[in-house]
Amino acid sequence: MSSLPKIHISLEQAKLLVEYLESDQQDKANELVADIQSPINTELFAEIGKLTRQLHDSLNNFQVDSRLTDLAQADIPDAKERLNYVIERTEEAANKTMDAVEAIFPVLDTLQNQVEAINPLWEKLMTNQLSLPEFKQLCIEIDLLLKSSETETNNIRTLMTDVLMAQDFQDLTGQVIRKVIDLVIEVENGLIGMLTAFGLSSDSNQKQIKPSVGDNLVEGPIINSQKRDDVVSDQHDVDDLLSSLGF
Amino acid sequence: MFSPEGALDKNMKVLVVDDFSTMRRIVKNLLRDLGFTNIQEADDGSTALPMLQSGEFEFVVTDWNMPGMQGIDLLKAIRADASLSHIPVLMVTAEAKKEQIVMAAQAGVNGYIVKPFTAATLKTKLDKIFERLG
Repeated sequence: MSSLPKIHISLEQAKLLVEYLESDQQDKANELVADIQSPINTELFAEIGKLTRQLHDSLNNFQVDSRLTDLAQADIPDAKERLNYVIERTEEAANKTMDAVEAIFPVLDTLQNQVEAINPLWEKLMTNQLSLPEFKQLCIEIDLLLKSSETETNNIRTLMTDVLMAQDFQDLTGQVIRKVIDLVIEVENGLIGMLTAFGLSSDSNQKQIKPSVGDNLVEGPIINSQKRDDVVSDQHDVDDLLSSLGF
Repeated sequence: MFSPEGALDKNMKVLVVDDFSTMRRIVKNLLRDLGFTNIQEADDGSTALPMLQSGEFEFVVTDWNMPGMQGIDLLKAIRADASLSHIPVLMVTAEAKKEQIVMAAQAGVNGYIVKPFTAATLKTKLDKIFERLG
């Protein structure tokens, strides 16, 4: 920025100014003062004009270059939808799996009951106490058991395959989450860029990630317990902590 | 809660509180596996409290982090209500800060399980709770 010119007032001008004021010619005096100042004013206005133009251009460039608008209007809402998708897919997978598991338990119960029903007669056979009619009964029951085992184990096989297939969510949700991570990185870089542009320091040497904490110290699942000393890692730690305090 | 012989009555009314339906389902299944047959669900501390006040529940399993009323606040409300304060409360939660565990213990929680947990852990803690009360 160029320095403002010094005020050049001549002795003649000064004498004239005094003359005007002494003779009560205020208008003329004001005019003379304005004339003296005008080079300064022109210079000042020119500087202000230049700065205003620079600011205007910077703001324009900022809007045009940055992806702020896109991020706000399209990418962030998209990211929210993606994360909702992840919740939906994982809930669906969990329910599918539990459906299969809940269907398997009765099948296992049936098999177990049938085996238990046969046991008494079988025991008798093994200890040579079985009568012939009982033996015939045993044969019939074993025959039934063999047939139902075949059916039920096929059932179990099908249900277990359902469980296996329900895990496909991991691939889909993994891909979606990766996209959201990319977006977060872009927003992060954009924010850092903004901070730098405005001359604010951005401390990129964070030693520890400090997550946000809610009411009652709520943080949700801890993802990096090895790096922290204020959390427990597993149930053993919980039990140790509680018993050390007398609970 | 306890039958005349002093054994644990697994027909007792249990309330499972968690804002994720999948977790409620898991806990319900595990409890059924352990012989508990009378289980109801609530999706938040704020919906659980009225249920407790009007039902005759004898055991509560609750998460901590819920949007309306958190589990820790539900626990405090239970302990503050003369008609409910006797009910044993087991917390099953992902909240793992030491301060929080102590907070829960001081608020009168009977057991604290961190997620992810195993069926065996749930059984152990349940046994311990009812042993202590018996």
